[in-house]
Amino acid sequence: MARRRRRARPPARITLNLASMIDVTFLLLIYFMVTTVLAPPEDRLSPTIQTRQDQTSSTAPDFQPQVVRVERRDGRPVYVLGSRVLADRAELAQALRGLPRDEGVFIQVFDRLPVEFAVAAVQTARDAGFERVTYVPGE
Amino acid sequence: MSRRRRRRTIERIIEMEITPMIDVVFLLIIFFMTTAQFARMTRADVELPREAGEQDEAPEEAGLVVNVMADGSIIVNGDPVSLDTLASLVRIEARAAGGAEHARVLLRADRSADTAHLNRIVTRLRELDIGAARVATEVPR
Repeated sequence: MARRRRRARPPARITLNLASMIDVTFLLLIYFMVTTVLAPPEDRLSPTIQTRQDQTSSTAPDFQPQVVRVERRDGRPVYVLGSRVLADRAELAQALRGLPRDEGVFIQVFDRLPVEFAVAAVQTARDAGFERVTYVPGE
Repeated sequence: MSRRRRRRTIERIIEMEITPMIDVVFLLIIFFMTTAQFARMTRADVELPREAGEQDEAPEEAGLVVNVMADGSIIVNGDPVSLDTLASLVRIEARAAGGAEHARVLLRADRSADTAHLNRIVTRLRELDIGAARVATEVPR
């Protein structure tokens, strides 16, 4: 009797409905793909401007350094090259084109200015073909 | 005969093996979750100056990344540090690089920050014989 009962029972088959889980999983995948911003790590940022900070050559008596002063005059930031006051980077670029490239240029940056304005001077000097651009904090 | 065949085909259960697909999907989810988290952890919220930078050079690994926030605070590796702590971190970087002249420092200064904050850092770097530094920029679109 017992043997017959065992044989008569069909083998139990466990089925798991995965359809809803797959739906949720795909929704999560789409969400993360859309929201993720793959930013490069900080140390791999390619657009950087190389500057030097040594000030030793500027103090040599037999050498007239080319200095661009970045300062504030009459409440607005300006570039000063010698006696010329340059209002924007376009004027600065034009003025730098007339200078010899071999000696390099010093960018003397004074306080109370936006960093963007100072960095623009460094970039303009690099774009003008100066290999040696020295950032000097104003005193 | 044909009726029998039809019945047999109907009775067959169509099964699809979806286990590897679920594996792949889960791996993709884990990948996107972790990369998003890392990007948030490592990057300080700094509005960089919009300049082209030096595009011709290959990206170089910066040893020490110094973030200068708009309010002048200094952030290194996600933590605010004082100027003295920064100096000791620079010394460690210089030692690891084999000398102050080989030390690589990347300055990520907020475009609206006061140049006084950047000047303080540059002056301190000069005192530590760090001859060159890089200023990070953001390419304008």
